[in-house]
Amino acid sequence: MLSASLHDPARASRLAGLIATPLLLLAAMVYTGFNPLLLAEGDTAGTLWRFVADFFPPSTDGAFLHDMLRETATTLAIASSGLALAVLIGLPLALLTSRALDRDTLCGEAPARGWQWLQRLLRGVLIVLRGVPDLVWALLLVRAAGLGSLPAVLALGLAYGGMLGKVYAEILESQPPQAAAALAASGASRLAIFGYALLPQAATELISYSVYRWECAIRASAVMGFVGAGGLGLLLDTSMRMLNGGEVGSLLLLFAALVALTEGVSRVSRAAIHSRAGGAGLAAGTLLLLTLSLLWLWPQWREAPFDVTGLWRFAQEFLRPTLRGDFLVQVGSGVLETLLVSALGSALAFIGGALLALPASNRGPRWLRAPVQLLLNFLRGTPDLLWGALAVLALGLGPAAGVLALAVHTSGVLGRLFAQTLENMPPDAEAALRHSGAGRLACLCYGLLPQALPQWIAYTLYRWENNIRIAAILGLVGAGGLGQQLYLALSLFQLSNAATLILAMLLLSWGVESFSRWLRQKLL
Amino acid sequence: MVAACCPPNPKDNPLMNIAKLSVAGLLLAAATLSHAEALLKVSAIPDEAPTELQRKFAPLGQYLEKELGMKVQFVPVSDYAAVVTALNADQIDMAWLGGFTFVQASQRGKVVPLVQREEDSRFTSKYIVNADSGISKLQQLKGKSFAFGSASSTSGHLMPRYFLQKQHIKPETFFKSVGYSGAHDATVAWVASGKVDAGVLNASVWDKLVEAGKVDQSKVKLLGTTPPYFDYNWTVRGSLDKKLQQKIQQAFLKLNAANPEHKAILDLQRASKFIPTKAANYKGIEAAAKEAGLLQ
Repeated sequence: MLSASLHDPARASRLAGLIATPLLLLAAMVYTGFNPLLLAEGDTAGTLWRFVADFFPPSTDGAFLHDMLRETATTLAIASSGLALAVLIGLPLALLTSRALDRDTLCGEAPARGWQWLQRLLRGVLIVLRGVPDLVWALLLVRAAGLGSLPAVLALGLAYGGMLGKVYAEILESQPPQAAAALAASGASRLAIFGYALLPQAATELISYSVYRWECAIRASAVMGFVGAGGLGLLLDTSMRMLNGGEVGSLLLLFAALVALTEGVSRVSRAAIHSRAGGAGLAAGTLLLLTLSLLWLWPQWREAPFDVTGLWRFAQEFLRPTLRGDFLVQVGSGVLETLLVSALGSALAFIGGALLALPASNRGPRWLRAPVQLLLNFLRGTPDLLWGALAVLALGLGPAAGVLALAVHTSGVLGRLFAQTLENMPPDAEAALRHSGAGRLACLCYGLLPQALPQWIAYTLYRWENNIRIAAILGLVGAGGLGQQLYLALSLFQLSNAATLILAMLLLSWGVESFSRWLRQKLL
Repeated sequence: MVAACCPPNPKDNPLMNIAKLSVAGLLLAAATLSHAEALLKVSAIPDEAPTELQRKFAPLGQYLEKELGMKVQFVPVSDYAAVVTALNADQIDMAWLGGFTFVQASQRGKVVPLVQREEDSRFTSKYIVNADSGISKLQQLKGKSFAFGSASSTSGHLMPRYFLQKQHIKPETFFKSVGYSGAHDATVAWVASGKVDAGVLNASVWDKLVEAGKVDQSKVKLLGTTPPYFDYNWTVRGSLDKKLQQKIQQAFLKLNAANPEHKAILDLQRASKFIPTKAANYKGIEAAAKEAGLLQ
């Protein structure tokens, strides 16, 4: 018999978590109407299958291919100039807010009151910039100032600027502080400390992260057209709405090629930073890409100039959120739906990711590895909004489609991360079990999973923070949540309602972030 | 003192150069603006697929170019509300608006309605249903999924919603789910595919699709028709030259079905002829929009 001290001291809370989590997820399933069995039903499968079968043969219509090429160029140009703008916004904000440059942390000087307040304010700005999804920024700017690629560039610049500002600041904070402290002690300015101490240390990491963000920007700008902001999304939106399978097929192929290409370019660039010649090549390439992008977009911007007065009037109407009781109730139900869609989608993706990670990391039959890896790339390479549109075809309008879309897309993301965890894990525990005669299943359950699980849960919680923002926009394609309400409010020029909805989105994403952080600390 | 003894050479002063550049820029902008009068930028609410809109507009555009003696350019726009924004922001000169988008545009800025099709004074919408559903009456749609067109559409959203409310049907609670297909032809595609059980669209687009054999009658059935109301018109921005406004109106009114060339244009617009219109015609739409809660 085990003595009391050998029992798991945290067993009460573990047991509670083990019972509460499935119950909560079950409640979420009932509320969102998500029933996995529906997928197997003849009707649903038939509808989806007919549409997917239409993908073949992909459309090779001359005019359509011509449009596709043009919009591909626009998409690339939007992503590149949008990221350039994001760097212009993010870098100064990072320099102003990073604690790594503060004299009080570097040499113990008492900070000025006003300066501290300014920093707090700027951090708040960064939170708002990245808290509003880029697609929502685009939607707002399109409404405020007209159509086209300029709102898309600005939207990417603002949302990614907020993200870069935070990450740049954190990268600087993670550097060894000795050199910076020495400069600070000799009275160097903030900019000098950055330029002579921190930049040389952190340059490769800063550049590498920016290149990675460019890769994300390409994927983001590819769906901006869904809200009328130019690029490939415009074509995809039309083809999806008209249920033109052949055109969607061509666009999907193009998407896959584009994602593979940018991932390749990004990988090569990040490797190139480490040599002097490579760095120079990267700089030259960046300049060339940026020049070409601006040259490509300039005629469009001249044709449809940005309406500054419209922006001003829009802001005035917008900055008076509706706080009427009945409207708040409606927003509340949208918030709940968005929350449940994101939680359930992420939880299902945890299961999907785990199942796919085993073969992808060589724990299954060897021949299965390459196809599963390909499947993972396909799942995460296809934009979430597109999964949303497809899921609506399969399950009909409503939150259930949102759950399915998130589960499928996130399974691809988590499957890859989970597989990496498995590959990086020390093999000792598994080997010890195997040598003592344990079977494959026992090795997996007692050797592998206990080590991998904490990391897997952490990844899933991180991803949930991201998914709450996606769930908030899936309504654009009819997949439930706050998105549809926001789209309606903006279409009907009910700007104060839109303001309330965006506030709700911000609160929701902030709340999920805090909860997930708390949960991670508690669990891991 | 320093300035007095050696006055700065304006050529070397960077500020001066910037000032000069900005002046040049402003002049250039002014030049483009005045130039804009020689080019008429026209757009339309995207109530049908973009390729269809372009096809419909091409001969009308050529006719207007000839009549007005100026270049006419069609600006494709993917979103109803964006056409309203663009017209209010003077980014386009003329637009084909629905009744509701016209009311929105006149609420948000100065716009002038010029002409409407004769058919637009008694426009209707059609309710359609997936043939496999076995539904034959509107009331049987309770608990089914339903598609409007664009949220900003008069015939695809506002008026059907208004008439449904008159029958004590609140879409959000009556139907299982409500979707917005974005365009009339998309609504037909949605219902035919079974993506939704039923939907509602512009009667004129429905007739056109049926005539062209683009509706699979074994999959989509007609369920009913709404009472008539005022719909579409051609509207220009208020700041457009008054003489040009009149010339445009005359050009539309001159279109005569007896002339084969004109008939081709009218057929594509699905009009027997164009008649003058005025803002007061759309008071009923405004009232309906307020009652349906789509306008504040």
